Amino acid sequence: MKKKLGILLLTALALFSCAKKQEPIVISPEDYHGSVDKVTEVMIHDIFSPPVASRIYAYPNVAAYEILALKGDGYNSLQGQVTDLPQIPEPENRENVNFDLAALIAHIDMNKRLIFSEDRIEAYRDSLYGIWEEMNAPEFEASKAFGLKVAGHIAAWMDKDNYKQTRTMPKFTVDSDEPSRWQPTPPAYMDGIEPHWSKIRPFVIDSAAQFKPAPPPPFSMEEDSDFYKEVKEVYDISNEITSKGDESEEIEIAQFWDCNPYVSVTRGHLMFATKKITPGAHWIGITKIASRKTDSDLAKTIYAYTKTSIAIADAFISCWDEKYRSNLIRPETLINEHIDDSWEPVLQTPPFPEYTSGHSVVSGAAATALTSIFGDNFAFDDDTEIPYGLPVRSFKSFAAAADEAAISRMYGGIHYRAAVEIGVNQGRSLGKFVVDHLDMN
Amino acid sequence: MNKLIALITSTILLIGCNKGNKLFENPTADKTGITFENRITESDDLNILDYLYFYNGGGVAVGDVNGDGLPDIFFSGNQVKNKLYLNLGNLKFKDVSKEAGIQGNSTWNTGAVMGDVNGDGLLDIYVCAVVGIKGFDGHNELYINNGPSDGSKMVTFTESSIRYGLDFDSYSSSAAFLDYDLDGDLDLYLLNHAVHTQESYGKADLRYKRNYETGDKLLRNDNGKFTDVSEAAGIFGGINAYGLGVAVSDFNLDGYPDIYVGNDFHEDDYYYLNNGDGTFKESLKDHFGHISRFSMGNDVADINHDGLPDLISLDMLPEEEIPLKSSEGDDNVQTQKMRIEQYGYHYQFTRNMLFINQPDGNYTETALMSGVAATDWSWSALFADYDQDGEQDLFVSNGIPKRPNDLDFINFLSSDQIQNKINNTKLVDQEAFGLMPSGAIHNYIFKGNSHIAFEDMSDKWISNDTIISGATAIGDFDNDGDMDIVTSNLNRAASLYINQTDDNANYLKIKLNYINPNKFGIGTKVYTYQNGQLQFKELYATRGFQASSEPIIHFGFGPHTAIDSLKVVWPNKTFQVLKNIATNQTLTISPDNPKPFDYSTLKPKNKSLFKIVDDGMGIDFVHKEDNYVDFNREKLIPYKASDRGPALAIGDINADGKEDIFVGGSKYVPAAVFIQQDTSFVKYTIPEIAKDSIKEDVSAAMVDLNGDKKNDLFVGSGGADFFGESIQLKDRYYVQKGSTYVEKELPEYFQNASVIKPYDYDQDGDMDVFVGNHIVTSKFGRSPTSYLLKNEGGMFSVVDNFEAKNIGMVTDAIWHDFNADGTKDLIIVGEWMSPRFFENNKGTLTETKQINLNGLWQTIEPFDIDQDGDDDYLLGNWGTNSKFKASQENPLKMYFADFDGNGNTETLTTLAKSGKEYPIHNLDALASQMVSLKKKFNTHKSFAGKELKDILSAESIENAEVLSITELRSGYLKNEEGTFTFVPFPIELQVSPIMDFLSYDFDNDGSPEVLAGGNYFGVKPYHGRFDSFSGALIKNENNVILGHELGLDFNQKSLRHLGILPIKDKKYLLAIFNNERAQLYQINN
Repeated sequence: MKKKLGILLLTALALFSCAKKQEPIVISPEDYHGSVDKVTEVMIHDIFSPPVASRIYAYPNVAAYEILALKGDGYNSLQGQVTDLPQIPEPENRENVNFDLAALIAHIDMNKRLIFSEDRIEAYRDSLYGIWEEMNAPEFEASKAFGLKVAGHIAAWMDKDNYKQTRTMPKFTVDSDEPSRWQPTPPAYMDGIEPHWSKIRPFVIDSAAQFKPAPPPPFSMEEDSDFYKEVKEVYDISNEITSKGDESEEIEIAQFWDCNPYVSVTRGHLMFATKKITPGAHWIGITKIASRKTDSDLAKTIYAYTKTSIAIADAFISCWDEKYRSNLIRPETLINEHIDDSWEPVLQTPPFPEYTSGHSVVSGAAATALTSIFGDNFAFDDDTEIPYGLPVRSFKSFAAAADEAAISRMYGGIHYRAAVEIGVNQGRSLGKFVVDHLDMN
Repeated sequence: MNKLIALITSTILLIGCNKGNKLFENPTADKTGITFENRITESDDLNILDYLYFYNGGGVAVGDVNGDGLPDIFFSGNQVKNKLYLNLGNLKFKDVSKEAGIQGNSTWNTGAVMGDVNGDGLLDIYVCAVVGIKGFDGHNELYINNGPSDGSKMVTFTESSIRYGLDFDSYSSSAAFLDYDLDGDLDLYLLNHAVHTQESYGKADLRYKRNYETGDKLLRNDNGKFTDVSEAAGIFGGINAYGLGVAVSDFNLDGYPDIYVGNDFHEDDYYYLNNGDGTFKESLKDHFGHISRFSMGNDVADINHDGLPDLISLDMLPEEEIPLKSSEGDDNVQTQKMRIEQYGYHYQFTRNMLFINQPDGNYTETALMSGVAATDWSWSALFADYDQDGEQDLFVSNGIPKRPNDLDFINFLSSDQIQNKINNTKLVDQEAFGLMPSGAIHNYIFKGNSHIAFEDMSDKWISNDTIISGATAIGDFDNDGDMDIVTSNLNRAASLYINQTDDNANYLKIKLNYINPNKFGIGTKVYTYQNGQLQFKELYATRGFQASSEPIIHFGFGPHTAIDSLKVVWPNKTFQVLKNIATNQTLTISPDNPKPFDYSTLKPKNKSLFKIVDDGMGIDFVHKEDNYVDFNREKLIPYKASDRGPALAIGDINADGKEDIFVGGSKYVPAAVFIQQDTSFVKYTIPEIAKDSIKEDVSAAMVDLNGDKKNDLFVGSGGADFFGESIQLKDRYYVQKGSTYVEKELPEYFQNASVIKPYDYDQDGDMDVFVGNHIVTSKFGRSPTSYLLKNEGGMFSVVDNFEAKNIGMVTDAIWHDFNADGTKDLIIVGEWMSPRFFENNKGTLTETKQINLNGLWQTIEPFDIDQDGDDDYLLGNWGTNSKFKASQENPLKMYFADFDGNGNTETLTTLAKSGKEYPIHNLDALASQMVSLKKKFNTHKSFAGKELKDILSAESIENAEVLSITELRSGYLKNEEGTFTFVPFPIELQVSPIMDFLSYDFDNDGSPEVLAGGNYFGVKPYHGRFDSFSGALIKNENNVILGHELGLDFNQKSLRHLGILPIKDKKYLLAIFNNERAQLYQINN
């Protein structure tokens, strides 16, 4: 008898341990940062141009944000505020759904849809799925079903943004007969990228041309013309700072903000690409720094990413609209042709027209969005570029960082003054419009 | 009976011998004693990152250094000591490196060549070195042969480079001995190479600024001291010349040696024509339409028995799908344009180039149709008649340990793995190198035939290997008369390829015993004549890549045991003739009462049929194509459709009884009218026509259309740019009214016209018009609608039930009575379709004949080519000198559908190889149109080698429209009592697309001939440039004269129309080209 009881007890014990304890799944802001970092990493691997990268950041954040808004933590849905965004569906059974978890799952799923190397996102996703399933299978399954459903809805909306159509639109045709027009630049002479980006549906701004900047100084290679003076200024600054050497502040600034996703290098018989994050990715990195510094909760973190990434995406659309309108030639081409045939810029010239400076527009917009979230005079140490072998730089505010990013393009020898000064203002106006028009909390 | 058995037995034996045995055997190092191995050791300080030509290997030189009649072998080592092997006979070699004193003192040796520098009849050795990179020390070395010691075969050498002024400490690849100034002694061309620096990229005129380390040098032998005369002689020496190949030959047959230099990367090759006064004129662009891009080794031989030296220049295009699709491809169209138009470089394409030298000094490039275009990472090319059948064969050495142009490495692996290492430590470890795929590809050998074509015999004649072979030389090592091969290998013992042709075919080996100080007779030409067949050889020892071969001349004669005659032309422009010479012997020839040789006898004797009229008699017309690039809009289409103009119409445009000219303009450029005056033409503007300048005029007809006995003008608009119902696509009909023209309405249709052909098909007394259309803008592959327009009182209406409405991509048509019923019928040709025959039965056109012959037809012309009394039809097609390949078994296909469902169609072309169908484009190009492919294949490796069926879903392939082609050759439909059989033209007419034929009795012999013209440039750099067709006069089936002998200047120009222009009482030939000046020729008949 005793023996039997013992067996029974053992069996019961075994049964008990099989029916695992269901822990609630808690999603921290760090979990979300992790997913954002992951997509950044895959984007670098897959090589996406800056405008395309901005789109890849925005949609997954919107998906996550809309789930949070539905949860009701005091954040308002973007439906009605962002062009054509549909109402996302309610979960079938709200009880088992962990909205935070669903938001993260939607974010990961959208990332997977947007990049090329799906296996890299899948590996990341599957390891998290395994953990969550282990922790609380019912909650995980319900949240997953809901998160994926929302992702499907957001993706359907995303698919109507004209991205697919722009893939098969004509390549940019180089017109070398007209001296002011942009031409491919050394060393890779790549085609002008994304000539139709202005046709992508914007998120908040009315149209790509809403923040159309004043035109650049009229093209002229007469030595007393404003345009020529700007060309010469790029050359002179470049000579001055390179004579000071790589340690000079200006060269450090130029390199810190390079943010070129594909720098083509030839060494010996090898060709390879030095790959870095894009300008948008840099500001996404600053968003993470600010969220962490303010100990933001998950909801505020997602809010910050969403607002900033929308501002960045619209900034690219606005900037690219102007780039292929003014279609202006890069300093490298003109300086080599007219001033110094062996001159090369500190940074590799990126493959698209000069005016306005993309980094300036985007930095102006992103800084305005971040200021609206975290306040002005928000000092921070920017360590975003450490993985790419660059140092930490400290800024007293987002606006100060944006100003530095803008001027860095002149130090880098890839933009004239008008493109950075007018560009950063173009971004700020656009950013202000986005901030004013979005009622998120 | 016994004899028969013996015959049978020997036949069986012969078969038995050939079966399973290769033409070449590779005796191993332990048998031959040749153990030299060019071992290179990568280190953190020295690898392909530090020195770009780390894998290019050393040199090899073959020659009899000890005068025992057997060729010896010298190897130079990159990081190992040089070696000299004396040939002991019976394929035994003895390493005498140490005793001979040739081991060398430089850190990094490259090419090695033999030559008798001091004129003592003994071969000396010149060894090149790279000095000044990465601490590489030393200088080029000259080993003067001290001669064999008394009574022994041993030789010693003394390094004497300083004494001779040849101790260069620069970046040398190789060198060639030649007597460029014909003063009797040997001078030297030193080939150097650049290294990548920021400054070495830039405009082509960098070549004018000499640079000591990288620039080539011409060194004149002044009594044993070499003087650098490069600058004065016009030899380039810039920082951008990556010299890897040098070939010396009297290319233009004026008695003075010329030089061809192959340059790697962006710099053009150099073609130095010797002016005969000690200077050279670099003339590449004048004579070569395009060249290899990454030029490596090269070689010269007359492969087509015309006595002109032909040339091969190697590159690195892979033959296999996997390396092909995973390696970096060609430039895009715009980058190429920029490099050519703004940077001043020539057309360069990544593949081997075979240049056939023509009597007018121009070269016809035939590598694709000759079958030698793709031999992967190739170093050395050596022509020789290896099987001694009388035709030149070709050996190509190749391989690279690591492929640095692997796309995954460039885009993904390098950045992930080595970027930080490079940035932070400037070192790269073996692990990172391991990420580059191996390029160990077997050597190639090709059997030549008499029609400038080569057959790949790599797995039949030689053993497949994975050895990395570089420098290569030939010589008769076993002294059996056939040519053997030696290759220097990376990290493996050198390979000997011993030729087993032996008694199966006959040879003649010639050693020259010329006058001091050029004992070996470098620069001598030998012509043999056997049964009307000419063979021509010229003696230069430096050949291939970083090497020199045995300084002898070798011919094969197949079954012939004797030859009719042999002519030796000595370097001093004297010659002698030997007659009735037995083969299978080594002949030593010395000058024996030679007579002066007149080089002008080698020039074409006949007065050419055509002579260009320099001032064009006022026809000052230059067609300028507009900037539209079809590939920017439709990225995957196989070729352009926007460059088919200009239109040409000849006729009396102003009713003064004299023939005038209408030539169309491109988009925004007005058409030109030239009015014939008394002695010349005057350009004239007809406002009514000029107002339509926005339209691109592709085809035109000048004929009376409204019955007033005055010519009217019908102009077909096209250009492939305007789309939908753009009025710019509307054709025009201008009626002559008084002294001007008035435009009349045409039916509403919007198409890209290709051909306008008037004919009164309904026999009602007025001219009706067939309007053939080429493409639907932005929907390449879809059939446009072609029209038959019926003329009623000078107004046209569309014939509704016209059977040929949706016939395809029409390019040309003729009205011709093919059924001999007295009314003309309609024959239509086009691209991706067969010629189509529509019988005219009292005004009803019905297709009656089916000819299954899908091609890329460009033009059709009736002509009795077989002279049997009925008309055959000449058909201009794409030609075979193309990356397109098509046959019944392996058709070329084009798929047309909206594969990615975004509302736009994609057009993609596939090539079939052994029944497997591969897209022509690589992953990046396909994904530029179908982004989803990047998700399906996220590396190039995962894509490379995939067939179409693995790339697109079965469903999307099934839903696509498919067009296919089985014939790319131009030829004719031979009319045999009303049935037509296709007969291809000879290979010489397949070098380019044929764009127009003109039938006329040019030579005034009472029966017409047909003049053909062509060339086409509307393709991506992947295809190259079809620029080599010089035009041809087709007299009959067996008699075709190429334009090089006709006085035609069609080379490197893309012809559109030919016409006969009567001026006063004489007839002239008018040739109209796309994007080029029009030409007027006088006909000398």
